[in-house]
Amino acid sequence: MGHGDKGRPSKKLKFSAKEITHLDDEDAYFGGEDIDEDVRDGEGKKRDFTKLELKPDHINRPLWACADGRIFLETFSPLYKQAYDFLIAIAEPVCRPESMHEYNLTPHSLYAAVSVGLETETIISVLNKLSKTKLPKEMIDFIHGSTANYGKVKLVLKKNRYLVESPFPEVLKTLLKDEVISKSRIISEGSRGSDGFTISKTMGEIGAGPSDLLNEAELAAAAEEKETHAFEVDPTQVENVKERCLPNALNYPMLEEYDFRNDTVNPDLDMELKPQAQPRPYQEKSLSKMFGNGRARSGIIVLPCGAGKSLVGVSAASRIRKSCLCLATNAVSVDQWAFQFKLWSTIRDEQICRFTSDSKERFRGNAGVVVTTYNMVAFGGKRSEESEKIIEEIRNREWGLLLMDEVHVVPAQMFRKVISLTKSHCKLGLTATLVREDERITDLNFLIGPKLYEANWLDLVKGGFIANVQCAEVWCPMTKEFFAQYLKKENSKKKQALYVMNPNKFRACEFLIRFHEQQRGDKIIVFADNLFALVEYAMKLRKPMIYGATSHVERTKILEAFKTSRDVNTIFLSKVGDNSIDIPEANVIIQISSHAGSRRQEAQRLGRILRAKGKLQDRMAGGKEEYNAFFYSLVSMDTQEMYYSTKRQQFLIDQGYSFKVITGLPPPDSGPELNYHSLDDQLALLTKVLSAGDEAVGLEQLEEDADDIALHKARRFGGSMSAMSGANGMVYMEYSTGRHKLGKGQMKSKPKDPAKRHHLFKRRFG
Amino acid sequence: MVNATKGLFVSCDIPMAQFIINYNNTLPPSQQFIIHVLDSTHLFVQPHAAEMIRSAISEFRDQNSYEKPT
Repeated sequence: MGHGDKGRPSKKLKFSAKEITHLDDEDAYFGGEDIDEDVRDGEGKKRDFTKLELKPDHINRPLWACADGRIFLETFSPLYKQAYDFLIAIAEPVCRPESMHEYNLTPHSLYAAVSVGLETETIISVLNKLSKTKLPKEMIDFIHGSTANYGKVKLVLKKNRYLVESPFPEVLKTLLKDEVISKSRIISEGSRGSDGFTISKTMGEIGAGPSDLLNEAELAAAAEEKETHAFEVDPTQVENVKERCLPNALNYPMLEEYDFRNDTVNPDLDMELKPQAQPRPYQEKSLSKMFGNGRARSGIIVLPCGAGKSLVGVSAASRIRKSCLCLATNAVSVDQWAFQFKLWSTIRDEQICRFTSDSKERFRGNAGVVVTTYNMVAFGGKRSEESEKIIEEIRNREWGLLLMDEVHVVPAQMFRKVISLTKSHCKLGLTATLVREDERITDLNFLIGPKLYEANWLDLVKGGFIANVQCAEVWCPMTKEFFAQYLKKENSKKKQALYVMNPNKFRACEFLIRFHEQQRGDKIIVFADNLFALVEYAMKLRKPMIYGATSHVERTKILEAFKTSRDVNTIFLSKVGDNSIDIPEANVIIQISSHAGSRRQEAQRLGRILRAKGKLQDRMAGGKEEYNAFFYSLVSMDTQEMYYSTKRQQFLIDQGYSFKVITGLPPPDSGPELNYHSLDDQLALLTKVLSAGDEAVGLEQLEEDADDIALHKARRFGGSMSAMSGANGMVYMEYSTGRHKLGKGQMKSKPKDPAKRHHLFKRRFG
Repeated sequence: MVNATKGLFVSCDIPMAQFIINYNNTLPPSQQFIIHVLDSTHLFVQPHAAEMIRSAISEFRDQNSYEKPT
């Protein structure tokens, strides 16, 4: 992790500001990010660690702890596994290449640690044990400071009574001094103890702590039965009490727990995991964090795509065994979730229902699983009568578990709405990529809960749980004519189209498709964000494509053909395919254009091929095939694409992936068997690109999940369906914020006007 | 009648030649430095232009390369 030199940030800043004036839609956000350049940057290479005191037996200890909260872990240490489990609980992973990991202690990560049951003293003593050097005083102070108030108070829903619990009676006393809280307290007759708190014994942590490491006195203390003091609060006042406890008021953020075993009011749902559903070790671990003390905690679990997030979700639901509301991003993944529930659990068909524009099912009986989309729940306008009834039912029901898929794509505003609309005891968020360019991730900490578990990608690859992917960046030189046009000022809006349609890139793409189809018999997905390019490529190569306007029926048909037919080995996808379209057969991705520097998109796309294929023994280290999946990113040299491409890769590089650079594709001896060999063809293509309107060559306006909300709106206002459905806001959210910061001037060049924006997001952009 | 002109022989790849030509065209006529475009990878320019071309190219390349913050 190189630390940039001092001079760089200002230079970057100048560049980004300049870029934005002549670039259309793609770079809006990085201006903002560059401004918030890490403050540590300045310290750079000059840092001196000679004063740190090495312990005499430092060789046996796996990590280095620095005063500024950074922790470096040696992955070759024999203690790596235990140290990793511990660190992932208390710190945020920054970068995890093969032999050295970097972590960062942050208030949020410590909050998460406390919430899974680690205590301040435990954290410090374990850290001290693992560290090669004496723990810097700053770090100890920091841990004390950040954890002093976290996790001291728990809000538990027990037998439908809200209890504020704490092992420290004095904390409860402090809370009760607050007027709002003392008013909402319910004093029950049966209370004992001098303070009138109910005292009960709770089970210690099971499996949540670093038990295999801490088998000494400290752990014994942690696992002992503890006395808990509690008082009851009025259910109608719970929201207010919670608010009073937030950091801006009393600063005792509450952890929410759900004692589902003792919940006798909500009916049980009769479902269990099928015996053939064997959770893998890391899935077990993530679940054990969630159910550490026999109760269910809210939080987020981060697993790479293809590592079996749905099984974790289904297992959690079948452990709680109450009604479950499952939220997905679009109709296709709703179908997939419903399928996963039926696949892994013994749930009966009539107990699970999907609620989308196409299927409005209702479950019979008094408990069940509802799978729907965020849009359907959060939509605020008028609905059809039928869906109004269902949404009413969703609102009135008490849900045992709120299961949220792909939490990273949904803006905080929408979450607030969904969470406030639905009453749930426990919330579980699932995602593969907890990065966003606009730093809205931190909101999730308070909206859903802390991050409970994050898996290490490389460990999963080594274990054979996900595919071992060869990532490659293919550098295609621009042709003379295209580059000349690219450089012209008057073509600034067409730059993207020009570098995407670069004939050399097309030829490289065609070559790769042929190679993988014919030599290896692979299944290939080609991604293009640029709709113009998508259509041109797909037509020229005569391959099926799916983009926003493709109907649900047609999508299903194409995907089905891709899965089963031997003749359909390549499909072209626009960014509709980024998230949650499950295509387990594919093992090659060729990316011809992408949405600027989005790290998340890159990781999500890679995720499409991460599902492990083939025999396990071949996949393991030293097996027959070193790589069984391929990820190519085609980049036109000397263009902006190079910049974006490097930026996009950062997330994967932080996960330990490395990108191989390939030049000289297609091979120089390839002739007219690939398209656009002759100069005339190339020039014809160039004319086509230049004559297409600016709008046409721009990015695709995504129409996602046309549910009945969108139809409704379109009928009433006659606006663009995509804008009405909220898909625009959802998809463009992260790119738009940076632009907004830079002032309204740039808004003009934006293809969609604010009037068309979904009203949910209007307020945000104001 | 043969005229001898002192100049600089630039050899580069195809896109960079295009970049230099484009750069040359954006300048006012009095400052233009290309004497002759020999073919798609070779240019003949005025001798004083070397530094200017280098800095223009390095600025262009900087724009297209990403450095990870921190």
